Amino acid sequence: MTHAQPACTAAAAAALLALSAAATAAPPAPEAAYTAMSAEELADYLIFEAGGFDLDAETQDGGTARERMTQDRTQKVCSAIARSGKDLDRATAAKISALADETIEFPEDGVALGDWQRGEEIARSGFGYRIGHRVDDHDSRTPGGNCYACHQLDPNEIAYGTVGPSLTGYGRLRGTSEAMLKHTYQILYNPNLFFPCTTMPRFGHHGTLTQQQIADVMAYLLDPESPVNQEPAQTAEAESAAAD
Amino acid sequence: MTCAGARPCSQWRTYHNDDTTVRREGELPVIKTTTTAAAPAAILYIPLSVVLSASALADDLRAPEDVLQELIDNNESAYLTQSEQNIMMMPDNAALWTAEEGKALFEEARGPNNKSLETCDLGKGPGVVEGVYVELPRFFDDTGRVMDLESRLAYCMTSIQGFSPEDPEVKQRHGSDSDMMKLQTYIASRSSGLPWNPPMDHPLEQAMRDAGEVLFYRRAGTSDFSCATCHSNTGKRIRASVLPNINEPHEWTKAISWPAYRVGHQQVRSSHHRIRGCYWQMRQPQSIPGSDAAIALMSYWTDAARGEPAILPDKKR
Repeated sequence: MTHAQPACTAAAAAALLALSAAATAAPPAPEAAYTAMSAEELADYLIFEAGGFDLDAETQDGGTARERMTQDRTQKVCSAIARSGKDLDRATAAKISALADETIEFPEDGVALGDWQRGEEIARSGFGYRIGHRVDDHDSRTPGGNCYACHQLDPNEIAYGTVGPSLTGYGRLRGTSEAMLKHTYQILYNPNLFFPCTTMPRFGHHGTLTQQQIADVMAYLLDPESPVNQEPAQTAEAESAAAD
Repeated sequence: MTCAGARPCSQWRTYHNDDTTVRREGELPVIKTTTTAAAPAAILYIPLSVVLSASALADDLRAPEDVLQELIDNNESAYLTQSEQNIMMMPDNAALWTAEEGKALFEEARGPNNKSLETCDLGKGPGVVEGVYVELPRFFDDTGRVMDLESRLAYCMTSIQGFSPEDPEVKQRHGSDSDMMKLQTYIASRSSGLPWNPPMDHPLEQAMRDAGEVLFYRRAGTSDFSCATCHSNTGKRIRASVLPNINEPHEWTKAISWPAYRVGHQQVRSSHHRIRGCYWQMRQPQSIPGSDAAIALMSYWTDAARGEPAILPDKKR
């Protein structure tokens, strides 16, 4: 895997930096080097060449921290759009969506619902893939999907995030047709297919959720027995409001 | 002792009464200084404005709870108001004691060179502490670099006091008991209520800020996260925590008001500790304190709060 290489001006600037460091004992003055780079080049230089991060650390997926920090095409494009503050144009959106479509792998036996109870554990767990000062040990615990960080699901859970839309009643509202199963699988695998540059992680694409885990989360979302699809418990407040 | 209304019981005021400034309603602020170590009982009361005439800013220092309350009064923000308990406890912030310990440490002759930090230039001349923190990171001529408070302190501790970078005084960066947190909390508290105003005159200051902006929006890793994933919307939550929006300066000033006592950690924490925690949550590599990447990020985030008053020390969840 190649990491993002700053453009040639950055390389020249880095050489200048190395030269000035060799010429004097004092800390190198990076002014010429830094100001010669674009903001993007400097950011990459600070990450990959100037010791900004512990890049040699091993990761749970058998790679290195350096690989974690290396952007793929989708990440690069979506970062630039977000920073520009502009809306995603249709052509770029179509490209991101097409990239997502290429990545999605379906289970050999077809898309089916797994176990909603296992899905609930995955939805609640924020464990997994963290590196640095405390490394998540995947041998001690299975990584989760952390769905509740951003989404409302079980209507009786009050500690839910709102960065993503509420998914309460997801299956009750949508049903469990084959098309809906496939659609839900695709979103969990790579949501950029339908929502280009969404903030939601690409769980299947990155392999942070296995196909079985995705099936379990799908069951939590779609199974009529799942708490996600039950009516919320009536609170005293709601009852008195209904009585009025 | 009654603490009705909480304000009269402010440790901030108590601390400043015992220590440097006394500020009561309708009175001139005064400063109290012990003259020399040989005459510890000799205490002088002098109007603050006279003693610190070179630094008129000191007059504008405000208790952090007052700064926060004013922000809450002037803005609608679920982030600023999310913890009633923490707001109530601001006057009894344990970080105030950390700041007090930092003041003693700053003035104490230490290290192989047996010198205090009173000749340390934090950006406004040797020994000036008032108002320096809201103007960091900044470019320093003597190093040719843009430096934040932590890297500048490390520089002063090694170059003035003679500590080695490996000495625990310099190397230990986290925890209320670390010298670094004590010193940072003291220095930062002497900017409370002042508007964030990091200089952008030097080309390097601008370059670092711009690179920091790229870093802030830079998505990477197994979760495709960037800082902006959580910090570019108003009133959104992760689980039960309301997130601050970098595009709302009145929210962002609280977000970057470190050092802060973190109730959940029972420790005073720094900007670097926040950065480390965020990269950990983002499933990305560990940020290195004092690195130019970390300083660039701070240059951007401080610029984003420009003009809003700092809440120092703060208290967070």
